[in-house]
Amino acid sequence: MSARLVPRAGTPDPALTELRAEVRAFLKEQIDAGVFTPGIDTWLTRWNPDFTRALAARGWVGMTIPVEYGGHGRTFMERFVVTEELLAVGAPVAAQWVADRQAAPSLLKYGTEEQKQRFLPGIAAGEICWAIGMSEPDSGSDLASVKTKATQVDGGWRISGTKLWTSGAHHADAFFGLARSAPLDPAHRHDGLSQFIVLLDSPGVTIRPILSMSGDHHFNEVLLDDVFVPDDLVLGQIGAGWEQVTSELGYERSGPERFLSTFGVLESLVHGVADGSVEADTRIGATIGRMAGLHRMSTAVSESLERGENAELAASVVKVLGTKTEGDLADLADEIAGYTAADAHLAELVRAGVMQRPGFTLRGGTSEILRGVIARGLGMR
Amino acid sequence: MSGQDALQSTELRDFAQMLSEVFTSGDDHRIGEVVELDRALWSTLTELGLDRLTGSEESGGSGAGWLEAALLLEAAGSAAAAVPVAENDLLAGWLLEQAGLDAAPAVRTAAVLDADGRARHVPWARFADSIVVLWESPQGWQVAEVARGDVEIVEAVNLAAEPRDHVCVDLSALSGRDVPAGTVDEFRYRGALVRALATAGAMDRILELVVDHTTARVQFGRPLGKFQAVQALVADIATEASLVHAAADGAVDAVVAGGFGDASTRFAIAAAASCAGHAASVVARNAHQALGAIGFTMEHELHRHANRILSWRSEFGTVASWDSELLAAAGEAEEVWALITGGPAR
Repeated sequence: MSARLVPRAGTPDPALTELRAEVRAFLKEQIDAGVFTPGIDTWLTRWNPDFTRALAARGWVGMTIPVEYGGHGRTFMERFVVTEELLAVGAPVAAQWVADRQAAPSLLKYGTEEQKQRFLPGIAAGEICWAIGMSEPDSGSDLASVKTKATQVDGGWRISGTKLWTSGAHHADAFFGLARSAPLDPAHRHDGLSQFIVLLDSPGVTIRPILSMSGDHHFNEVLLDDVFVPDDLVLGQIGAGWEQVTSELGYERSGPERFLSTFGVLESLVHGVADGSVEADTRIGATIGRMAGLHRMSTAVSESLERGENAELAASVVKVLGTKTEGDLADLADEIAGYTAADAHLAELVRAGVMQRPGFTLRGGTSEILRGVIARGLGMR
Repeated sequence: MSGQDALQSTELRDFAQMLSEVFTSGDDHRIGEVVELDRALWSTLTELGLDRLTGSEESGGSGAGWLEAALLLEAAGSAAAAVPVAENDLLAGWLLEQAGLDAAPAVRTAAVLDADGRARHVPWARFADSIVVLWESPQGWQVAEVARGDVEIVEAVNLAAEPRDHVCVDLSALSGRDVPAGTVDEFRYRGALVRALATAGAMDRILELVVDHTTARVQFGRPLGKFQAVQALVADIATEASLVHAAADGAVDAVVAGGFGDASTRFAIAAAASCAGHAASVVARNAHQALGAIGFTMEHELHRHANRILSWRSEFGTVASWDSELLAAAGEAEEVWALITGGPAR
């Protein structure tokens, strides 16, 4: 038998089940109190600082950050359970998302003591928001081709270039800007890259909105015009940017947001079937089965990360499968119920699902890139 | 502790290692013939106590549980093993235990009979020493063991030429033992789970065959596997196979935790059967596409596995029936998420 690409999931810890119930009860209260309406793709599209702070007050933001940095010293698995609950219900969590998912772990792994003390407490409190500073106009999947340039000056670096598809930059406090700090060597394309903590209110930073086809503003273009970044805001090692950004992508790719972005649609379809307003299409059942399998797989990836393993391959498998499934679910709802659905909430979810779906299999590594990662893992490349 | 994979004990690892030595793939073609019972393999299984793995030790079984059975079924599935290991132990053997009947060593299969004493597509019936039958009499559900000689058999096969015979038994000549009414339901869930596990194993072997072929065969001056289009085909086989493993493991863990009567176990088995059934379409299609014409010749190994997974998905209920069951379960639970993760609904 061949080795498994995704490890077997462990047996659930009763303490995690208890935590799950606690989060679920809190979310129900919040919905009942009208604090938020469950939505689609809310980890990207629903920015609600008050709700993020309310979660932080309960200790559900920055969970894995050590207590000494204002966090809660909880495990990856505890964070996973809370994250799943937030996503499954479609809670507005965009304000904390990037900070909690990848900025905090990257700071913990590569940041200086001063950087950790400066940023981590604010992240755990839900006060500091982060964005992603990777993609550029000419660099999408081929991240090593970034052209943003970092030039060393007295006391720091001057950064110039353009970052693109920067979700939430207009609300965010900072991003890790990936820049070329040494000229491109075609034989060693991954060398000469570095990451810089760019405070987005710095002089020389211009943030321009890019509207999505829905008319919503999530994306931005971030122009960096000779932006000064002091030495103490260099993340990790100069020249080690590729390794660091790959590690950051590991956090970005591996979570349950890669299969749960449209989960609310499934709940609404099932309710519709129960009250007779939606046809009892067997494809709804098939989707429920796949979601059950994906929940197991995503759990296994998180457990693998908790054990300190390299989960790149397993995460790629889950992301390819999960993003296709969550997108197909949006499409299925459109086929069965449509934007014309009598149930206004379902109609709204269908509309949002159709608008957001194209991004699912692009962001965080396209399915095409990830299939290549899987093929490499199988020894084909 | 959290994250402890149920298979990480030394005993289970050793057991998996032994299975990989017992079940080997690729050496048995039987071109153009109906698959025959592999009696040499069966006697090896008997010697090792694998023929009645989950039977109680008092009744001559090995006293193992579903974790071990799952490993056995995956190994047998990956080798396209021509032995009724699932039927003998997890269906027939289990039915006999339910009925309090003795089970001397034998090759057994099992069937649910209709009111006329008939059952269609009974696995391995022509090669079995006896068939353990389950039927509903006016007094309730009954179990009896019937020697093959007392069964009228019309030979038939599934898509992979595995024996799936139609049987007819004279009910008036049978004296059965009472079993609980839920037995017939459990029979179906057991059947679906054993097929999902075997499917997971078979998909592993298909993936191996496809990776071997696409890395070895050269076209346009490079191995097929260097083409991104081919990589995508193979990656999707791998992702679907991983999903089937995850769903089937989930069902096994549910059985271990709560038994077959538990609603969450039944949901997990339905999910595994649904995932395995739908994944079979992608895995078989992509594997054939990657293998080219050689892949659907009689002499190539691929069809043995591809046609098995396409057969197995229909054998204890159609794929659509499992999808419907999942939808119905969600409707009853009122919340899909609570059904998938356990715990109270919002």
